[in-house]
Amino acid sequence: MKVLAFLILIVNVIFANSLNELLKEYKDNSANSLKTVDEKIGNVIVYSQKELRLMQHNKLSDVLKELPLLNLNKNRYGISTPSLATTKATLSGFFRLYINDQEVSSIHTQSFATSWGEMPLDFVDYIEVYYGDSSFSLGSETGIYFIRVYTKSANKENSTELKTIFSNNNSLSQSLTHSDVFTNDWSYLLFLNQSTTKDDNSYKNQKLKNDMKSRYFYIDLTNDTTKINLSYVDIQKDNYMGLSKDVVPQQGEIKTQDYFINFSKYLLEDKSLKIGASYTINTREHEEEDDELLPIPAANGNTLQEYQENLKFTKTTGYISKKLNLGSNKLLTSFHIKNKTYKIKNSKIVTSRNTKKETTYSFTLEDELKINNDFMLIGNLKYDKYKRDDYLEDENEEMYRIGFIYTPFSNFGIKSFYTKTYLPPTFYNVDFVSKTNKNIQTQQYKFFVTEAVFTTEKSKLGITYHNVKIDDFIYYLNNPFVPGFINIDHQIQTEGLMFNYKYNISEQNDVTINYYMTKTSETSNNTEDGGYIKFMGRYSSFEYFASIIYKEGYSFKPTNGTNHVVVDDSFDLNLGATYYYTKDLSFSLKGENLLKESTESLFFDAETNKNFSLNDFGRTLSLSVKWVF
Amino acid sequence: MGILMRNLILLIVLFSLSYSDTYTFLVNKYDKEMELESKIIKKITNITVKQKVVLFIPKITKSEVKFYSKLFTLSNNCEEANFIFVKKNITKDFLCKNKSGKLYFTNNYKKLLNNKDYFGAFFWSKSRPNIVFIKKRLDKMLISLPNSYKQFVEDI
Repeated sequence: MKVLAFLILIVNVIFANSLNELLKEYKDNSANSLKTVDEKIGNVIVYSQKELRLMQHNKLSDVLKELPLLNLNKNRYGISTPSLATTKATLSGFFRLYINDQEVSSIHTQSFATSWGEMPLDFVDYIEVYYGDSSFSLGSETGIYFIRVYTKSANKENSTELKTIFSNNNSLSQSLTHSDVFTNDWSYLLFLNQSTTKDDNSYKNQKLKNDMKSRYFYIDLTNDTTKINLSYVDIQKDNYMGLSKDVVPQQGEIKTQDYFINFSKYLLEDKSLKIGASYTINTREHEEEDDELLPIPAANGNTLQEYQENLKFTKTTGYISKKLNLGSNKLLTSFHIKNKTYKIKNSKIVTSRNTKKETTYSFTLEDELKINNDFMLIGNLKYDKYKRDDYLEDENEEMYRIGFIYTPFSNFGIKSFYTKTYLPPTFYNVDFVSKTNKNIQTQQYKFFVTEAVFTTEKSKLGITYHNVKIDDFIYYLNNPFVPGFINIDHQIQTEGLMFNYKYNISEQNDVTINYYMTKTSETSNNTEDGGYIKFMGRYSSFEYFASIIYKEGYSFKPTNGTNHVVVDDSFDLNLGATYYYTKDLSFSLKGENLLKESTESLFFDAETNKNFSLNDFGRTLSLSVKWVF
Repeated sequence: MGILMRNLILLIVLFSLSYSDTYTFLVNKYDKEMELESKIIKKITNITVKQKVVLFIPKITKSEVKFYSKLFTLSNNCEEANFIFVKKNITKDFLCKNKSGKLYFTNNYKKLLNNKDYFGAFFWSKSRPNIVFIKKRLDKMLISLPNSYKQFVEDI
């Protein structure tokens, strides 16, 4: 009898354990965030829910500063802005940022950095970064890098979360995330954040103010077929150097407000038909004063002491897409319409500007042809028709991409894409176009990317090569007499190689090593090579990470006769740990740039006619508390 | 330092290669979560249904059919099934007229609390998957769970 009771007990324990094990595997699998990865869009890096948590990535810029093949540097307005490796952009339009289905880059500049670069990640589930133009599949603005941010699912959170982050530089961030599921299967996730960032720098023993206040509101309403997202963001910050000729402005401020509503719905039983619409408003106020400001095109050669503008932009979009399975072919076709308007509410300086409108009609077609289980061909076509009022000529653009994914063995695969795409001039490019280049042209891109991946039981090694050719590259010329954007009159070429190696030390611990090398046909004004080593894991009630992000030093040798600048190697050492007091209450400590070896950004002092470099960020220690209930 | 980093990369490349569970490219849709969900439901039916399980999932998707059909006999209507897993908002038309001998399970905790037809739920809360059975409803349906499953039973 005792033996029988013992056997029953054993069976019970095994049943319960196996169910608990399955639940744990289910949870861990969900945290790997691979459900939406689309290998056809480009070469992808996934920042999973697990990695965002272990690495204590609190803001989007924490992810951006680590990304290979690009540099994250401060611009003259103190905004951390991504640039392609070897270059430093003041406002970069190469990157498209999506939050769920909404593309959130500024309607004015096509850069997301001002409003979304420091976006808190408490409401973010995971991030996919695609190298390659994904507008073929996503049907919106063109770009070179696509960052897709997926917000947390209310169904999975189903809770309230409070989080506070204190930093030794007196920065403070407070977040509330609340989600609930109703009996009719609608669910909502609400996110609120308020942050104050202290980030001053100094130049010639004078303070460069770069403090920022930001507020984020986001709500996601979802059921099985419908998604409605609403968002509001406002930023108020100092202007850092701004347009000051002697680099240190007397005063200045930038204020932005971004609102959007996005609706999408799947139709038909197999969800193969999708419709969507969105409406976005951006406002931007910028004012500054100094004894003398840098020359800008609209000043017509006059010396400015004051700059003031108040701008409003709107964007309305609508689309319909359909998936079709025809034998071995999987087709995706879509039609998009997008209307942008630009209204100057008030501008003391740029009187030559006026209201602008642009309407774009796009048609896309994607074919995924599976030759066999190991080999897939991918072809994309996109046709865009731009209708503009008379600020710029109407134009039609055709894009295409061909590629393949070949996985002959379970531990080896290769994929390649050749893409012809373009980046049209932005409203900002037109506002600040050089007097010598009034009919600014669309930039034309041709790029080839190939990636080979080897895997072992515990590791994954990826090697990626890219080669990019750019015609009519748009570049801001800092000429004191005829400043402004111009099209470069020759073809620019860049190529590079990247290695990425991930090793799972154990079920809970892994290490990733990345190294990339790039070169360009032009004079580099930023890092060409870089990489990182990062280790993260969990033991008992502790989570921990260590990372060092390396950016190679360089010597900036301008061709205009001004002084050389030598920038040292950067070693950004970051360490952190989280202690779970209970499953729902945790305390995290994080140190950033502990070696005080930050990256540096190049600037120009127009008063002394000298180039110089400044650190992008200082050493920071932060403590955060998270409570879920 | 650049040379040091390059050498480090090369050293790591020299690690031995063997077959693995890691993936190269995710060419097909990643459905591991669905596969695990079907296994969890299988565990639950193993301890709650004495006869052969015939499963009905209203508004079932192709992906669900792919994984659930490996573990269950699927029914496309409620009447022929003895275990009904409700994952979506459905009208009464999807449910059985004769409820006797049938077990209703859901993925929505509020639905479980508000509708006495359901005896349990598999749902997420605080980013963690949970299973809950309601004790009174188990007793009413004469379902006896092993002692080790008490951790999943709520006495509401």
